[in-house]
Amino acid sequence: AGQWMVGAKMAAASIRERQTVALKRMLNFNVPHVKNSTGEPVWKVLIYDRFGQDIISPLLSVKELRDMGITLHLLLHSDRDPIPDVPAVYFVMPTEENIDRMCQDLRNQLYESYYLNFISAISRSKLEDIANAALAANAVPQVAKVFDQYLNFITLEDDMFVLCNQNKELVSYRAINRPDITDTEMETVMDTIVDSLFCFFVTLGAVPIIRCSRGTAAEMVAVKLDKKLRENLRDARNSLFTGDTLGAGQFSFQRPLLVLVDRNIDLATPLHHTWTYQALVHDVLDFHLNRVNLEESSGLENTPAGARPKRKNKKSYDLTPVDKFWQKHKGSPFPEVAESVQQELESYRAQEDEVKRLKSIMGLEGEDEGAISMLSDNTAKLTSAVSSLPELLEKKRLIDLHTNVATAVLEHIKARKLDVYFEYEEKIMSKTTLDKSLLDIISDPDAGTPEDKMRLFLIYYISTQQAPSEADLEQYKKALTDAGCDLNPLQYIKQWKAFAKMASAPASYGNTTTKPLGLFSRVMNTGSQFVMEGVKNLVLKQQNLPVTRILDNLMEMKSNPETDDFRYFDPKMLRGNDSSVPRNKNPFQEAIVFVVGGGNYIEYQNLIDYIKGKPGKHILYGCSELFNATQFVKQCTQLGKF
Amino acid sequence: MAVDITLLFRASVKTVKTRNKALGVAVGGGVDGSRDELFRRSPRPKGDFSSRAREVISHIGKLRDFLLEHRKDYINAHSHILSEYGRMTDAERDQIDQDAQTFMRTCSEAIQQLRNQAHKETHSQQVREHRSAILDFTQDYLRRVCKLYSEQRAIRVKRVVDKKRLAKLEPEATARTREPGSSEEVSLDPSQDSGEKPVAEEHAEKIPAEAQPELGSWGDGKGEDELSPEEIQMFEQENQRLIGEMNSLFDEVRQIEGKVVEISRLQEIFTEKVLQQEAEIDSIHQLVVGATENIKEGNEDIREAIKNNAGFRVWVLFFLVMCSFSLLFLDWYDS
Repeated sequence: AGQWMVGAKMAAASIRERQTVALKRMLNFNVPHVKNSTGEPVWKVLIYDRFGQDIISPLLSVKELRDMGITLHLLLHSDRDPIPDVPAVYFVMPTEENIDRMCQDLRNQLYESYYLNFISAISRSKLEDIANAALAANAVPQVAKVFDQYLNFITLEDDMFVLCNQNKELVSYRAINRPDITDTEMETVMDTIVDSLFCFFVTLGAVPIIRCSRGTAAEMVAVKLDKKLRENLRDARNSLFTGDTLGAGQFSFQRPLLVLVDRNIDLATPLHHTWTYQALVHDVLDFHLNRVNLEESSGLENTPAGARPKRKNKKSYDLTPVDKFWQKHKGSPFPEVAESVQQELESYRAQEDEVKRLKSIMGLEGEDEGAISMLSDNTAKLTSAVSSLPELLEKKRLIDLHTNVATAVLEHIKARKLDVYFEYEEKIMSKTTLDKSLLDIISDPDAGTPEDKMRLFLIYYISTQQAPSEADLEQYKKALTDAGCDLNPLQYIKQWKAFAKMASAPASYGNTTTKPLGLFSRVMNTGSQFVMEGVKNLVLKQQNLPVTRILDNLMEMKSNPETDDFRYFDPKMLRGNDSSVPRNKNPFQEAIVFVVGGGNYIEYQNLIDYIKGKPGKHILYGCSELFNATQFVKQCTQLGKF
Repeated sequence: MAVDITLLFRASVKTVKTRNKALGVAVGGGVDGSRDELFRRSPRPKGDFSSRAREVISHIGKLRDFLLEHRKDYINAHSHILSEYGRMTDAERDQIDQDAQTFMRTCSEAIQQLRNQAHKETHSQQVREHRSAILDFTQDYLRRVCKLYSEQRAIRVKRVVDKKRLAKLEPEATARTREPGSSEEVSLDPSQDSGEKPVAEEHAEKIPAEAQPELGSWGDGKGEDELSPEEIQMFEQENQRLIGEMNSLFDEVRQIEGKVVEISRLQEIFTEKVLQQEAEIDSIHQLVVGATENIKEGNEDIREAIKNNAGFRVWVLFFLVMCSFSLLFLDWYDS
């Protein structure tokens, strides 16, 4: 019975936990990891390649690696010295160069024993290459274990994953959508995506029901994935989805739903200016793999003439799940974040004062007769204060971190007038009346960078029902060129729109209203650091982006012209068929949304908000790559040059 | 979930072996491969660093096993209610404590030695990092095992204290009304005490002192078999008073004891922090010393530069003067 409870709980365990558990097991020589406070230390060396590094770094910090007994962690292709008597754990992708380097290591006998772990499955021929090298070096007994880990994806949040970071050029939106792509190249891209998705489902321990839109790259991925899952399930001996390896998946009575969508159904969201904390950080600052890099300009003192200019400090911060403030506020609108940072700062100061007060009380010691009775309370207080000191320090560090990050974001907002853009775009996307003409904003010299204006115009172009007349278009183009924009993205969007119109009606974005609450006077009154004068406090009203709407329809089995002709695949069914009729009539409890071609935090946040309103249901969001608007515009520019 | 393909790997090794044999490619050693392996491997420097580190770890492991083995007896023996007789005498417990302490000291010395050795030997950066990490792990292991020991010890000390307190209080309650001789026990107990409660002792001694006049009057009245009712009442009152005094003393003592334990815990935390800071302060000290040296050297250099400057100027002046003199001379010579 206990097992069943554990199983039921694990069915809803986040993908991050599962991947972390799998990594820890791998680091523990592929034996399940048990915490033992009086266990003997075992030490090992970890060797990874760049793929492995990207997978491990959001999940395990250096300290956690140390706790697992790892003394050194090194890149595969760096110079490594022989360290005798130590087992080495390898975590690499089975590519040609990696295999060559590993064979070299075996020949040079760098370590005592080798535990080889491949991120995705290794082919038989490459395995024989390693066997050959091991034989040649007489090192066969040293190769202790060889494992296929099936961990070829990067988990960023509890419920969000990305396929890769190192070779995102290969699977980027541009790579999939460029007109000069050959079939073989397309096959390679699809295979990469399918391989990662397959690893994802192996780690999740469940076989999904797949639904995808017709006629898109997503369909190709769905077909291949279905085929791969089916093959694996047929092969009863080696199936990855049965037996003890599955564990929890068997206890969840519902299978999850995998919705494969293509980026092309909604191009406005990646260009959208945003107002929530995490999406803003991703849009405005340099943020990837949960690490944000800030350039801090040093103070505004005048440097004496002739002195070297002060260097800007580069600081990078990790935004991790341990950071409670981040977890709570990553989806909140920005003014709320600013307020919360203030509150946290105040509560921290109060606690600090408490501790400081004790100092003065202790000074009374021995002077007063009542001191003896006070003393007993104070020693207790002192003990609790001392033990709470590490907590306080940690809190201070987090507050500093968020203050810096939020200030940087705020500077960008003020410089580029992002709130204006956000409001305007929301209005465009919801087709409410516009109070300012688009031309005014574009010609306004101090509102935003040329890129912001380009984004705004593209969103307008995408969301209008009828294309603007030629004259208007010329006017806009001229204004844009005056502002310094490159017009290639527009070229591409035009092509896309023509194509999309042929396929289906452009997606609408639902109704939304934004209520500007004028100046944020409350914040100013509390004398906060975040002087948000001139920045409007915009309240986000819940709206469903196209992706969320599609998910809603599919999950709740609603009938909707948009999703009715989605294809349906069930790898567990004996006979593969292309019926579009879903066999299962019940709404799904768990769903995984995967966007082929790229996704971003705005969609992720929207999905999270949607699922918050439905308790007991879980969503995982994944995409082949994660880009912010700048990167997307760059890709559109390249595409537009064709 | 991960898939174990070690067997697949071994199978591929066999395949490659047979293939190589078929192709006639020599595989280093061939049939004698296994023997060659042994020979090849043994001359490899085993690295006495890691073997020594492993030795230390196995020692610590032995200590841990030893402590865990006797832990139950160590602690259990205190609860008299559960077992009639303690399976461990105090002497044995002291022995265990002492042994454990010497063991821990030798282990930490060994770790320190290893650290010094690692420092002295120059190796590549990676090996050095690796070794210091190993030493950190070992030290952490030692610390965890020591915590086991100190927990045990703390429990034991607390039990001893409790026991002493109980032992003192019981005879007190019965001493006044019946056997005067028991007050002798009371006076003996404080002297046996490890001297942790001087206040209690004082009072405990006062009691025998008070008991003396009682004894005296008691002794006088010993001839009489009956007590007068006034005397009984007086004794009862005295009883109550003494009980009250004892209780308040008891409370005070308990408070003080609690405070002492807390203070000792605080001390531990503080010493830990101070020790942590020691390393930092040392490094700061080094930096400051280095900085003063650098500044001194800088001053010297500046002085040198000034001197050179001055010297240079002198030479230039001299040269100009010589030139002008030579000009004058030539002019005089010519005219």
